[in-house]
Amino acid sequence: MTEPAAIEVRDLSKRYGSKERGILALDHVTLSIPKGTVFGLLGPNGAGKTTLIKVLTGISDITSGDASVAGFDVRRESLKVRARIGWVAAEVILDDDFTGWENLRLQARLQDLTDWEERAGQLLDYFSLTDRKDHKVSTYSTGMRKKLEIALALLHQPAVIFMDEPTIGLDVGTRRMLWDIVTGVHREFGVTVLLTTHYIEEADALCDRIAIIDQGRIIADGTPSELKARVKADIVELATSDGIDPALLSAIPGVQDVRSQGSEWIVRVGSSEDFLPRLFAAIPTDHIRKISIEKPSLETVFLDITGRRLGGEEPMRDIRKFYMQMRRARR
Amino acid sequence: MMRQFWGLYVREVLRTFRNPFVLLITIVQPFMWLAFFGSSMAKLPVAVLETEFGTTNYIAFLLPGVLSTSMLSVGMFGSMSSIQDKRFGFMKRILITPTSKSVIFLSKALGSATRGLVQIPVMIVAALAFGVVFRLSPLEWVAWIAALLCLAIGFASLFLAITASSTDWQTPGVVSNFITMPLMFASSSMFSSSFFPGWMQAIAHVNPISFSALFGRSFVLGGSTDWTYLGYLALFAAVMITIGYFVSARWLKVE
Repeated sequence: MTEPAAIEVRDLSKRYGSKERGILALDHVTLSIPKGTVFGLLGPNGAGKTTLIKVLTGISDITSGDASVAGFDVRRESLKVRARIGWVAAEVILDDDFTGWENLRLQARLQDLTDWEERAGQLLDYFSLTDRKDHKVSTYSTGMRKKLEIALALLHQPAVIFMDEPTIGLDVGTRRMLWDIVTGVHREFGVTVLLTTHYIEEADALCDRIAIIDQGRIIADGTPSELKARVKADIVELATSDGIDPALLSAIPGVQDVRSQGSEWIVRVGSSEDFLPRLFAAIPTDHIRKISIEKPSLETVFLDITGRRLGGEEPMRDIRKFYMQMRRARR
Repeated sequence: MMRQFWGLYVREVLRTFRNPFVLLITIVQPFMWLAFFGSSMAKLPVAVLETEFGTTNYIAFLLPGVLSTSMLSVGMFGSMSSIQDKRFGFMKRILITPTSKSVIFLSKALGSATRGLVQIPVMIVAALAFGVVFRLSPLEWVAWIAALLCLAIGFASLFLAITASSTDWQTPGVVSNFITMPLMFASSSMFSSSFFPGWMQAIAHVNPISFSALFGRSFVLGGSTDWTYLGYLALFAAVMITIGYFVSARWLKVE
């Protein structure tokens, strides 16, 4: 008999606003996240990552479909779900006027825990915060605040921790520290982690499995190596000073696909090493304004499927449109 | 449920004492009423004071009224605290635990009411400084404080229910203007309602601020006490807290 998944999502949709004018933030999402994994939800801003976390944590209602977390139905057994999950927000949310210990005590009361002090002490030790536990959180550094927030999320020994863009806005050093913490927490406490991010290197470095989400739909999922293996090609991005005939590019041996992205071309080739000499023979080199080559990566997976980059211009326009529509829908 | 309520209630009360500005505003506002508005009547002829207000010291007449009206601001601060939690994401942090929206409401309502009670000892000391003499029995003190607590719970619940679905900083201020002004002036808190036109008297006679002011005044100025006022105030608190409980469970917005 197979072990039940930590998170099961079946044909889940979430709509903000009315059917006619609202926004479909999640569009028939189906996911199964095995116990004990670090699962990454990778996608651009506005893709639906945070919405999925809100739905799974019971903060937002489900429009249609089903979801269960830690074996309990998100809709019907919300309190049981919430007793078994932890949450780490993108922005640090703590009571600044309270000490670290007081924040832990409040979390213990909210989780209805009785014997929590020993566990809290162990967590403070683990995160090297013991000597600062009686100081106000307002005196903590960003890294310490993040650590305390993760300690709060772990206090009640949850089955699943949701981390919503946990490293957004952090400097490189603090981000690396947090990566070590996520890896360590997963190893030490055996908890399933669902982590959302739009940083490719973060998903690659931390996650056992990744689902790529775009415009509310899961467009690919698998282990990082499985996803990269999907793109059995190099991606060449090309910009020329003159217009270029795509037929000319398609005719070059080894070219699998040619797509336009604004004024640039995305050319999928079997081997960039073989392609480049052929390209230079087909197009005068002084017409080439920019050329870049990418070997298979999660970025090329996204680019290959959507024709857009994760952090490109196009998604940015989508986000603005998305939020404008969201605001309209909420009015 | 009790542990969750207690955690949030203690947080609500402690936040007041950890924030000197909130504490200062809570205390200074009614004190200003007493000092400035109370003193504005100081030169009234003693005969007028005795006839119209039943005392030679207008501040003794005013004190129960000011304490009653200051329980209105308790409601405003309670709903501001709730909106602050929504905007800073703390409401989400609370609700991603097995804590219900109704427990959040109860902790905010009772926490705000407790915060309002801080004003009582400060105002009593201020009134003593203005020459008011208190001759209350322990039972009368308890009854007066209980009346004010009922009023504070009622108004805190009312404000929280009205602003449950709002995340806008400005809402409590707007709601406060609509509730505070009419209820404060159409009450016996500062003047006897016998001075009012008929329509204002009608409001004053069902206004819980009037019940609280008259109830407290009967102890401070002496005279017969109408204990049914305490019953009305307890009913007011019970009705408002019940409404707030169900409104929050249904409409409390998370962010």
